[in-house]
Amino acid sequence: MKRSESLIPGNQAGFGRRFFCLLVVFILISTKLSAGVLVAPTVVFMSDKNRTGRINVQNPTDKPIEVTISFGFGLPESDSLGNVKVVIEDSNVVDPRSALDWVRAFPRKVLVPPNGEQVVRLVARPPQNLPEGEYWARIIVRSQQGQTTIPTAGESDGITTTLNMIIKTAIMLKFRNGQMNAELEVTNIQTSRDDKKLRVIVDMANHGNASYLGRISCRVLDADKKQVALAGTDLAVYRNLKRKLEMPYVPGEHLMPFEVEIKITSEGRTDIAREFMVFGNEINRVVYLD
Amino acid sequence: MNKTGIVKSTFRFALIVAVVLAMTMAQNVAAQDVAVGSATATVLAALTVTAGTLVFGSVYQGVPKAITNDNADAGVFSITGAAGAGVSMYMQLPDYVSITGDSDRMVISFSATDCNIDTAGVSSGDPTAFLAANGYADDNPHNLPTTNFDAASSIEIFLGGTVLPTIDQTAGAYTGDIILTVAYDGT
Repeated sequence: MKRSESLIPGNQAGFGRRFFCLLVVFILISTKLSAGVLVAPTVVFMSDKNRTGRINVQNPTDKPIEVTISFGFGLPESDSLGNVKVVIEDSNVVDPRSALDWVRAFPRKVLVPPNGEQVVRLVARPPQNLPEGEYWARIIVRSQQGQTTIPTAGESDGITTTLNMIIKTAIMLKFRNGQMNAELEVTNIQTSRDDKKLRVIVDMANHGNASYLGRISCRVLDADKKQVALAGTDLAVYRNLKRKLEMPYVPGEHLMPFEVEIKITSEGRTDIAREFMVFGNEINRVVYLD
Repeated sequence: MNKTGIVKSTFRFALIVAVVLAMTMAQNVAAQDVAVGSATATVLAALTVTAGTLVFGSVYQGVPKAITNDNADAGVFSITGAAGAGVSMYMQLPDYVSITGDSDRMVISFSATDCNIDTAGVSSGDPTAFLAANGYADDNPHNLPTTNFDAASSIEIFLGGTVLPTIDQTAGAYTGDIILTVAYDGT
């Protein structure tokens, strides 16, 4: 599998990487660590032309960690308020786009030494005559401290408790078979406000055979065209999704009504290399909020 | 062949050798240039999660012991990822902890306010440094909110809890698992 590359321009990318590394090191130093794991990349792409992939698993702690690789299935799902959750299922998955039954990882269990790294290779063995489209699974990287210390009671009548902190990182795996397309439709937009926040809920439907990856952003202007608030986030629409954007504001500070500009685009993803992007349509909408 | 001819052919041979050597050296230099020029680095987007355990210390029979979410002994999960990305988190919490061999169990509980979540990444892994203005205060660990990495690219979860030993709780060492599942919701 080809590795993804940064799309951030030179100096900015360098600064971002340095800042990110310093941040991780700072957090690791200042935290009472008992377990930890770094997984990269955050999404793995495979296809009918390249049925193998890999992820890197690093141990950022000074103790060995036990890492177990398994697979699950879970797409971003939303409730009626636009809150998005990923619920992972590991059995009885009936979704026709699930790749759960035909992807494998090697090795599946490994002890990663302190500050060490392990490459996990992935192989897809899709069934014959697989219909064209994108198929999905979640790579579950489960990590916990490798040498579990059996606690000992300090006194003859003493009781001690040790809680093992276990981390599961769920990375998306996408297997693409044939030609891909992503066609997004905005089916509804709701706006509301209270005394602290402006809310925009956007209903979307993906009519393509691949997930729509991109960014959704929202800019709120007052009646004088002055910016009131700005928000944005990464977006993945597999089928239908209701996404909420919340923005803080100060009531009475700006002239009503507010103009809400919503932009959805496949551009602007810095975590996925362009060669893996399925560029879909761009959507621009304007709604008003009284 | 006369003397002049020998000198000429020797000179011609030396010239050819010199040209070949020069070409070879030039190729080596070029190869070195290419080698230096082809040094590459691939940047991969990463997701890092670390954890520090929830520490109850010594517990006594019949005496419940609580660790609040702003106590230095609270459990800590630190998540570092890409700024602007949405992240979905789910925590599986035990109902009890077991003594080695599972001959006895002790109830452990986590209330709907046992969790502080710092979405600004300013607590630096210290539960006592959490400020409510920087995230979700006294939140429910059984139903963590979906949130976004802000510019600091860091989210920290501080977890408190209570163990409830019975009056005849078997003395010994008890263990249990706390599992945090983390997934990007925008990939």
